[in-house]
Amino acid sequence: MRGGAIPLLAWATLLVILMAANWIWTGDSVQVGSFALAAGLVYALAAWLVAWDRQALKMGPPPPDDEPEAVSEASLAAVMVGLSIACIGFGLVWAGFLIYFGAGVLALALGRLVLELRAELAARDALKPNDAMQEPPR
Amino acid sequence: MSATAPATAPRTHLRLSGWVGAATSTDHKRIGLNLGLCSLAFFLLGGVFALLMRSQIAQPNERFVSDNTYNQLFTMHGSTMIYLFVTPMAIALAIYLVPLQLGATGMAAPRLTLTGFWVWLSGGLIMECSWLTADGAGRAGWFSYTPLSNGTNTPGVGQDLWVMGVLLAAIGMWVMGACVVATIARRRAPGMSLLRMPVFTWTELASMLMVVGAFPALIVVMALLFIDRHGGHVFTGFNGTIDYQDLFWFFGHPVVYVMFFPYLGAAAETIAVCSHKRWFGYTAFVASIMLFAALSMSVWAHHMFVTGGVTNQYFAFTSTALIVPAGIEYFDAIATMVRGSLVLRASMLFAITFFIQFLIGGLTGVFVASPVLDYHVNNSYFVIAHFHYTLFAGSVFGFFAGVYHWFPKVTGALLRERLGKLQLAILIVGTNMTFFPMFFLGEDGMPRRISRYPTHPSWGTLNLVESVGAGIIALGVLTFLINVFVSLRRRVPGGPDPWLGHTLEWATPSPPPPLNFETPLPPIRSYAPLLDLRRREPEGSRS
Repeated sequence: MRGGAIPLLAWATLLVILMAANWIWTGDSVQVGSFALAAGLVYALAAWLVAWDRQALKMGPPPPDDEPEAVSEASLAAVMVGLSIACIGFGLVWAGFLIYFGAGVLALALGRLVLELRAELAARDALKPNDAMQEPPR
Repeated sequence: MSATAPATAPRTHLRLSGWVGAATSTDHKRIGLNLGLCSLAFFLLGGVFALLMRSQIAQPNERFVSDNTYNQLFTMHGSTMIYLFVTPMAIALAIYLVPLQLGATGMAAPRLTLTGFWVWLSGGLIMECSWLTADGAGRAGWFSYTPLSNGTNTPGVGQDLWVMGVLLAAIGMWVMGACVVATIARRRAPGMSLLRMPVFTWTELASMLMVVGAFPALIVVMALLFIDRHGGHVFTGFNGTIDYQDLFWFFGHPVVYVMFFPYLGAAAETIAVCSHKRWFGYTAFVASIMLFAALSMSVWAHHMFVTGGVTNQYFAFTSTALIVPAGIEYFDAIATMVRGSLVLRASMLFAITFFIQFLIGGLTGVFVASPVLDYHVNNSYFVIAHFHYTLFAGSVFGFFAGVYHWFPKVTGALLRERLGKLQLAILIVGTNMTFFPMFFLGEDGMPRRISRYPTHPSWGTLNLVESVGAGIIALGVLTFLINVFVSLRRRVPGGPDPWLGHTLEWATPSPPPPLNFETPLPPIRSYAPLLDLRRREPEGSRS
């Protein structure tokens, strides 16, 4: 979407300037490394937005978008992924078997996620207008 | 250009109802509500911990709880409030409101947002589970400095559960924060350029950028602490201790602003709407909030002035420089009210109180930004007073301003104004009774995190006043809960736009329908499209 990456790039650049000041003033590698990690992550997010849509670098209001979108009402897979990650974490502390249980649930959840995404894509494709129908008469 | 409502989109695949439907819903409003309600529950729990702590130190030589239990109480109070209430509540407000303010049908990555919520909630529950262990809950402070928090000095599963809980909560919040940023970047309605986004959305963008940048440091440091506690010996010697603090505070200070900006945004929206004026100095505000967010990423080691392991001058300079953007925000708030048609509703009064009370926290922050003064008050009750004036007297009042402002949008019902004003009065008294005497105690040398203190001139009296104040705060929170109960039980419908709002969330029914907007959006020519519509100002006069 138009302009979406601009504030991220601007803000990450501000971080880089502050990182440079920190580097010159303190020379502390852990501090500079922390800054670099933060700026790098924001740059990475901005790069992902630009890779998705070049409009993310352009100024101005977003134009009207008539692309149909499929909206899911619920996602069991997303909940299962979250709970399985927590299960693995809990297993690391308290009971080893929960690591394997969590990993199993995670595998199932990812499988379920693939099904949900395929259904969503199919629904969106079904909504797309037939190109031949859209052609204006010549 | 007139923006149009998004085309009707089909819903796919899974339809669930009841509790399961609410728990698995990918509707941003449901996720935001779930996150907000869970955060509120954790707030009440953290409040109970605070009351127990205040009971212990209400008088000298008190024996209400043991030293070990007191350590657990202050650790879990801080952890619950920061990791499980104020920060996630800021994210909850973003998830619920930002898509509405942008004219979007939903989040950019609803499934990922839902996953983030469940990881965060699981982390919170795991953290609180530590109370059930034989060793008790985490007890090394909400920052868990090494070597205090290592396996030798704080052994036991309770502390491990605390570490894992914080780790998971941080991962969950990071995921949700990234989704909010992606939503702002990708889901704005046609016509909604960056400089037409509402003030609240900008404050959320600044906060969530800080979440994206700073929270990985917490994730890394908690993972390393976990390894350290299980024989990894990551943080050893003086350098290890300093490295831990550097990494922790790289998250720990920005999170203070993550817990501040959204509530500032809520107070700003409330003030603009209740003054019937545009927010003054919008562009300067946007620039200042982004500068504020970047600067606040570079001040963290002012928490480490006394360690001798950091360059104090750099961090004193950046910490003091924060005055500039903060001053711009105060100037904008005052200028918005000047010559406005002020309506002193509960939300407006909470917003004004937010700015006044936060000023005390902000100005004392200038004191502790100076290493010389910080050496004097470090680890004393002065610091406790300072950050409670920013986080409770500031953020929580901003939160309540937002609640009174947006409650009709979320539920369709108005909160009772009289009960709201009563709650505000009680909270002002309770807050200042609890936290203001702490400045004197800290100046007089009373250290923080002590479960018992000897008889000392004035300490007993001041502590008793604080404990009574904490009880009054609890009464204020109870008044709020009663208000919510009464208002939902005997509903006074608010309609879609009870306050003559400025932003797009007021252009849809209350509560909003599944895809947010049923009718075409109004033309978006500024950050206050509904105000434009009402005033019918000439096209192109603003951008």
